[in-house]
Amino acid sequence: MLKLQDVQAFYGKSHVLHGVSLDVEDGQVVGLLGRNGVGKSTTLKAIMGLVAVQSGSITFAGHDLHRQRPYRIPRLGIGYVPEDRRIFPQLTVLDNLRTGFDRRGAAARTEQLLEQAYGSFPRLKERQRQLAGTLSGGEQQMLAIARAMMLDPQIILLDEPTEGLMPRLVGQIREIIDVLRQASVSILLVEQNVPMTLAVSDRVYLMERGAIRHEAPASELSVDDDVIHKYLGV
Amino acid sequence: MAGTRSAEKPGFWIAFLVVVAVLAVVPLWFPNSFWQRLLTEVLILGLLAMSSDLLIGYVGMVSFGHALFFGTGCYGAAYALTWTESPFALWLALLLGLAGAAVMGIFVAFYSTRLRDIYFSITTLVFAQIFWVIVFTWTDVTGGENGLVFSPPRLSFLGLFAAEFTTMSMHWFVLAVVALCYVFCRRVTQSPFGKVLQAIRENEPRTRAIGYNVERHKMGMVMLSALVAGLSGALYGIFNAYAAPDYFFFLQSGETVIYNVLGGIGTLAGPVLGAGVFVLLKELFSTYWSPEYYLIPVGLLFTIMVIYMPQGLLGFLRHKLNE
Amino acid sequence: MNELFQDLVVQMLIGISTGLILALVASGLTLIFGIMDVVNFAHGELFMLGAYMGWVFFTMTGSFWLGLAAAALCVFVFGLIMQRSALRSLIGSDPLTTILATFGISLVLQTAAIWIWGPTVRRVGAAFTGHVAVFHLQFPVYRFLVAMLSLAIIGGLWLFMHRGRFGLWIRATTQDRQMALAMGIPVPLVHTVVFGIGAAMAATSGYLYAPILGVDPTMGVNNILRAFIIVVVGGMGNLWGSVLAAVFIGMLEALAVIWVSPALAVIFSFAALIVTLLVRPTGLFVAVPR
Repeated sequence: MLKLQDVQAFYGKSHVLHGVSLDVEDGQVVGLLGRNGVGKSTTLKAIMGLVAVQSGSITFAGHDLHRQRPYRIPRLGIGYVPEDRRIFPQLTVLDNLRTGFDRRGAAARTEQLLEQAYGSFPRLKERQRQLAGTLSGGEQQMLAIARAMMLDPQIILLDEPTEGLMPRLVGQIREIIDVLRQASVSILLVEQNVPMTLAVSDRVYLMERGAIRHEAPASELSVDDDVIHKYLGV
Repeated sequence: MAGTRSAEKPGFWIAFLVVVAVLAVVPLWFPNSFWQRLLTEVLILGLLAMSSDLLIGYVGMVSFGHALFFGTGCYGAAYALTWTESPFALWLALLLGLAGAAVMGIFVAFYSTRLRDIYFSITTLVFAQIFWVIVFTWTDVTGGENGLVFSPPRLSFLGLFAAEFTTMSMHWFVLAVVALCYVFCRRVTQSPFGKVLQAIRENEPRTRAIGYNVERHKMGMVMLSALVAGLSGALYGIFNAYAAPDYFFFLQSGETVIYNVLGGIGTLAGPVLGAGVFVLLKELFSTYWSPEYYLIPVGLLFTIMVIYMPQGLLGFLRHKLNE
Repeated sequence: MNELFQDLVVQMLIGISTGLILALVASGLTLIFGIMDVVNFAHGELFMLGAYMGWVFFTMTGSFWLGLAAAALCVFVFGLIMQRSALRSLIGSDPLTTILATFGISLVLQTAAIWIWGPTVRRVGAAFTGHVAVFHLQFPVYRFLVAMLSLAIIGGLWLFMHRGRFGLWIRATTQDRQMALAMGIPVPLVHTVVFGIGAAMAATSGYLYAPILGVDPTMGVNNILRAFIIVVVGGMGNLWGSVLAAVFIGMLEALAVIWVSPALAVIFSFAALIVTLLVRPTGLFVAVPR
């Protein structure tokens, strides 16, 4: 469904992605592991059209994303949850969700999506009139995921959703990923939390210095494998 | 001249001397004094542009009020010349012009440390406009709208000799001042002081963290820029034997920025070239179209250059040569 | 009642109405800066262009209101074209580049106005020529009218920003451009439309000002500096800060006129700017994009 082939990308003047190839199939949860600064987040930004892609191809459900204007990419059904959450702090929780409303004017569908989001995150419903900037870190993370769900996506790109969260909330993120999987939403999960990623993913890619170095089904890997140590060990 | 301490390659000095020699000799073949005076004017405006480049190109601060220093330099010289006709009048005029610009420089330098980007641009613009209003309305002292008219000083050196300025001796005098200023400004930008300023432009917090006094460096460069601009203003006053409130006006500051963009920011020599191109275009359109509307084509050219050729003429040529 | 007190009251009323007209220019300027980091040096020329377009249609139709509508509409379209052709490619680059580009555009527009319409001052008749008595002085009704109209337009802008989808897009884009893109908001369109709105507001302001000052090619330059001062004093990007600062600057200058000549009154607003920058370099009101 989502396929990257030999993607080269620059961040300003520095060459960050040196030929990234990966694919995510329908309904799969795919983990992307690697140390800090190896280009995991940039890979997601390249998919969203937020960094300039020099060469290579990114295709999604028959569309060549490389040629799309950035704002059309999410409309094809790709939700993006960035690593620092990037909620709109001066908008209310409800307005944050409304930024993702269906633009073809299907009011019934948007109400349904909103209810679905509030169903998954009752906390947000309680605080829907509150400014998003006043939410706690965990609540902001929920809002960022709920906001991406408002696009009715076929795939969600999740960038380090557990970063800086309490262990209790990490468990909650896991539950959310399971819920999304049951709704047959694919997920491309960027993480540093190896046990969690291996537990929720179908397949895992290991990344180093701007390229994919290893690929394996999650079930064949364990936290203590050599290959994990090689690419993630300190 | 180059000395052993110099960081310059011999090629630079050869090129520099050739350009100065050409600028000194070529006007001799000009058909009349109009073109000779035009070239002198370009050099003076080029010096003003160079002073503004010290801030735009080397600190990243765009002053929209360089007319303030230019105007005070000019009125400073004008005062000296309405007041004395001594053999030292020329040097007194330059000195008073510099002093006027220095006072303004201190004022602006004080502000420059607390203002970033646009705030600096707007504030310099406002400062210059304040003084334009004052010069315009305070008729008793400044001559108001009519400005100050005076007789030009005589060319003199240390009281050794004194002679009336001719068109050519004025040109050579201006050329000498501008060339010396260029060498001096280039030295400053390549000195450790200049390197710190460039580091500030690239990354201010880091430069501060390393332990440099960012404020003092910025203030120093604003002062230098003000003094050079004041010098160009004083030269302009002496050259025209006239000081007008227009020299303080917003348009003068704006044109200074245009010279920079046309010629190439951060090159010191580029802005002088830019001033030349601007004055030439102005003359061209004034002659063949109308002296009132030359800003339409020149403004369009400027806007297009900002958008598509931000490195300016000199930068563009350099790039072409490198290919 | 003594004469000074009466003068004070009348000048304050004049100041408030002038301030509210200027608030239209300043709020457009601040809106554009807030959303795309563009300091529009050509904003004064949009103000001037609005006055001219209004004058053209006013002399053609004889209707003040048709002139107003034409001024807003023509300059709105002009703003769209200007943003798309010149400024769009500069968004995200150095703010200094956009200052220089818009400065170039302002020079061209100002000179073009002299070329097309000549340097003479044109007159636009006010919609209402009546006066009301304030003490023994006659105060023009027109000033009350434009003050109300300006407030209504600013209120309308606020409603537009806070009701409906496009306003939400504007607010989201102002807060986080990249994330707005990632939520499928057509950010380039939002930028263009906001620029058009700002241009139309400047045009409206220029036209409303025309019966008071007349129309001439330098009216943009003469007023843009004040608009900049207002925007800086009010806090760049802050809509209500700009409105308050506009009224403050308008009143300050109007009161100054009691003691000094109108030409020198502008120095008081310069002084206000300098003091503001000394005390709070980012403006009196904290910029909160809401």
